[in-house]
Amino acid sequence: MSDKKLLIINGPGLSDLSNYSELGYDDLSLDTLKQKCIDACDGLGLEADFRQNDDEPELLSDLINEVSNFDAFIINPAGLSNSSSIDYDAFSAAITKISNQSKPVIEVRIENIFKQSDSKPLQGAESGLGFISGLGKYGYVLAIQSINKKLSNQ
Amino acid sequence: MNIYVINGPNINLLGTREPEIYGKETLADIAIDCQEKASIDGHVVKFMQSNYEGEIVEWIQDAIIQKVDAIVINAAAYTHTSIAIHDALKSYSGYKVELHISNPHLRESFRHVSFVSSAVDAVVAGLGADGYSHAIDLLPELPIQSN
Repeated sequence: MSDKKLLIINGPGLSDLSNYSELGYDDLSLDTLKQKCIDACDGLGLEADFRQNDDEPELLSDLINEVSNFDAFIINPAGLSNSSSIDYDAFSAAITKISNQSKPVIEVRIENIFKQSDSKPLQGAESGLGFISGLGKYGYVLAIQSINKKLSNQ
Repeated sequence: MNIYVINGPNINLLGTREPEIYGKETLADIAIDCQEKASIDGHVVKFMQSNYEGEIVEWIQDAIIQKVDAIVINAAAYTHTSIAIHDALKSYSGYKVELHISNPHLRESFRHVSFVSSAVDAVVAGLGADGYSHAIDLLPELPIQSN
């Protein structure tokens, strides 16, 4: 049984996931997403803290403050409308801080951003950031599996 | 579930090619790992690698003919150049995942453009060599129609 802690943060726009049904991701709500993540973590003995914030500056300061308190991170930066609403530099700074502590971090997007939005992937240190896009809620499950493997290899 | 895992140029060098980026596992190790995991639940994984663009196109066309349920494709360097692979993937109606061992978006700018990403359902990158087996594990869980 591991006592590793995983922080899952979700950015602006993810409080209401009904828009994603138009993109083919049916029956998504923040509650079902959270439950899917908690179930996946429970099965692996990980402790998950699932958060969402429509205020990006608040979300980012929350993330930066928590870097030392968690063992791994999943970030869905989302964005209210398009790429211009994501503060890439601020996310990059937070991701670099996580990578400098050699902790796993994965960006997860519900939709395939290369097909279904004009958003760009986040940036970070070359070897420090995973990326999953287009798997709906299952993207979070894949990220959790990968993080668990990485933590158990440490 | 029938799954094709298609790998592009230089991936046969895994384990020896820039191991600090791509890891020490060989492609044969990864293939065995994926096939063993899949077979537990009766799924079949065909694992392929080619250094030739046209051969990759023909394997995608074969997946159409054979009604393969899903393709996991790591087109490697052809990701950033091949409209032929993009077109072949667009013709395949099963579930498609683009996979990369490293995260191309963190690397040289010539790797930031992917002709594969807009032709697939999902993109998985930067999870290391384990990304293959994690993806194979997940595919049968997805609510996808058999092809």
